Amino acid sequence: MSENLDLTPEAAVRAVMQDILGLDAEQVAAFTPDTELFGALPELDSMAVAGLLTELEDRLDIMIEDDEVDGELFETFGNLVAFTEMKAAE
Amino acid sequence: MTATLEYSRYEFQGNDELCLKVGGHHAQSILLIPPLFDEMNRMRRMLLDVMRLLDANGIGSVLPDLPGTNESLFPQQQASLAVWRQALRDCSNILPKCQHIASFRGGCLIDDFAKDMPKWRLSPAKGNALLRTMMRTRMASDKEAGLSTNMVQLTEEAQQGAVNLAGNSISASMFSELQEAVPSLSDDVRTAQLETSAHTGDIKLPGSALWLRAEPDEDLLLSGAIATNLVSWISS
Repeated sequence: MSENLDLTPEAAVRAVMQDILGLDAEQVAAFTPDTELFGALPELDSMAVAGLLTELEDRLDIMIEDDEVDGELFETFGNLVAFTEMKAAE
Repeated sequence: MTATLEYSRYEFQGNDELCLKVGGHHAQSILLIPPLFDEMNRMRRMLLDVMRLLDANGIGSVLPDLPGTNESLFPQQQASLAVWRQALRDCSNILPKCQHIASFRGGCLIDDFAKDMPKWRLSPAKGNALLRTMMRTRMASDKEAGLSTNMVQLTEEAQQGAVNLAGNSISASMFSELQEAVPSLSDDVRTAQLETSAHTGDIKLPGSALWLRAEPDEDLLLSGAIATNLVSWISS
């Protein structure tokens, strides 16, 4: 299995959002901490969220526990980045 | 891309399983191993595009359905990685022209049915990652129904016989195989990753990760890059 290249949590979140939502790099680069996610982006349904969490685990070599996932996590891009930064620092 | 699709079959444990063929008259063919579970549906259109592009380049290809998927009569709850490897062995036995394998995502977990055949892999997935996504999908649908489920409960349920995850009936043996499964190590493997991927690979391809999308889609940039790379790989 290939090794992960170094990737910051924020870059990983942007890359996964790009893949899941089918956006291009410029569109995802325009995401700010206040950009709303769940509920605001129709492509980001609960199935997509399932894939997103597993992809973040894979790309950042972290494990996300069931009880760490709540609605607030996906409210904004900033919340999601802050969570992954916290997990990556553990 | 006007290649003719041939709806063929192979026999597995007394049932006919579907097997799509394109360009059977060419001297060489590639056996394509599809992604597993939901990812297969999201990438099927792309795989067929790859098959048509290969045909335009003088290479045939074969895409078998795995027992228990699509129209298969094989009971889904009896499917396992071991069963799928055996099915691929049976299918491969009737395809003398297929001397190369191209496997996609979870398909890379079962391409070791043929130890000696050269393998090309796109974004190989670990079994546990597929399992965790399916468990999370089940947990999300339970939550919408007002139920609270967690991975520990689902793991226990699987051990008692079978568990339904995201529309798939996953047997105890499939569950435990997936927990441990990683793509086999082999000297003769070329691994392709997407340019957006964090993983290192032998080659990086442009295009999007269709397996992560909410709906099936096509991506001719990716299918074109895959076909071009497969053509250069098979001729090298």
